[in-house]
Amino acid sequence: MKIKNEDELDDYIICNRCLTLHKKIKIEYNSTAYCMECNNILYSNDYKFINEGLSLSITGLIFFIVANFFPLIKIEILGHSQFITITKTILSLFNSGFYIVGMLLAFLIFIFPLMIFIINILLFTLLKLNRGEIITKDLLILLAHIKPWSMSEIFLISILVSLVKLISYASIDIGISFWALIVFVLIDLYITKRVKISQLWDIREVIYANRR
Amino acid sequence: MQIEDSDLIRCPICESVNIDQSNINICRRCNSKIYHHQFFATERPIAYLVTALIAYIPANLYPMLITNQFGRVEGSTIIGGAIMLWEHHSYTIAIVIFVASIVIPLFKFLTLIYLIISVKYPLGKDKKIDKHKLYYFTEIIGPWSMIDVFVVAILSALIHLSNIEIVAGTAATAFAISVFFTLLCAHSFDEKLIKD
Repeated sequence: MKIKNEDELDDYIICNRCLTLHKKIKIEYNSTAYCMECNNILYSNDYKFINEGLSLSITGLIFFIVANFFPLIKIEILGHSQFITITKTILSLFNSGFYIVGMLLAFLIFIFPLMIFIINILLFTLLKLNRGEIITKDLLILLAHIKPWSMSEIFLISILVSLVKLISYASIDIGISFWALIVFVLIDLYITKRVKISQLWDIREVIYANRR
Repeated sequence: MQIEDSDLIRCPICESVNIDQSNINICRRCNSKIYHHQFFATERPIAYLVTALIAYIPANLYPMLITNQFGRVEGSTIIGGAIMLWEHHSYTIAIVIFVASIVIPLFKFLTLIYLIISVKYPLGKDKKIDKHKLYYFTEIIGPWSMIDVFVVAILSALIHLSNIEIVAGTAATAFAISVFFTLLCAHSFDEKLIKD
């Protein structure tokens, strides 16, 4: 393979599943390129995603706040009723001396998902305003680092499992927070599925190149 | 400039294509370090994996969940909890817990050991197993073993009455640490070392 300089490598992409090298080709708006070897999504032409991403991120953040401050599950055993919120779950682990699990939980289901949405909002706003070339770079690097560590969807499944475990002991009321968490997780999954990190880098490059 | 396709590596952070120059590669787009060491290829994943394996032993021996019901204290281990659910006819949940906290960690341990060994010794050269797919799969399923830890956290936060109380056990900490380190191990493994 012959190239003039390193920048020409931007025309290539390596599949993140099977590490096959591909040359990028121009594709039509709203279409997607797949890997020939493993059928993994490589990139798609979706430059209008910034507006959609911004609005989705803001919606997600609102649902996340709702999910954290309202009761998640309420139970009634032997005449006593009790409820938990996500924050209360984490704090009760600290209170009973499980600091390591508490810390892990705090990061995995609270701090990282919150950070991801704040980063998304900042990122899409800056890209839209055509500003902050250096900040967006740092934000994208940070996003790539914390993305694999956000586990809201796993927490959601855990709630379902605990509900089934409890169903024979007590009467259960599902709170607003639970539904908010479902919406939050769906938005999170949609954004992750729709726009890959490599694509955000490409969009960023195009936007700031136009500006110069 | 003439380069070989096999000299191109992918930055794990920004996914851009880079030329593999030496042991230390700095990504041209995001300036992150791209791990591609010739001499310390597998030391870091091995260290994480050993830590995870050590933590996995107490995770299975100590109780995960301690139930205090009218003064009767009962602890259940990870496998004990799954069996108990099966006996109570909650088959779906029993299978979910069994897969998440027993099958997935064991599968991950075996795969990672296999991948690390196959870097140094030519294992699986006959292409019966697609190692890239295997690695990708372990990365995807890895976090799901946290289900059991989350369930324990929810139950212990929720059930806090004078007569009935659920407390997390030692195994919860050990298991969480074990899962955390297998995740670190998978992340620190250099995909480029997988040979076909």
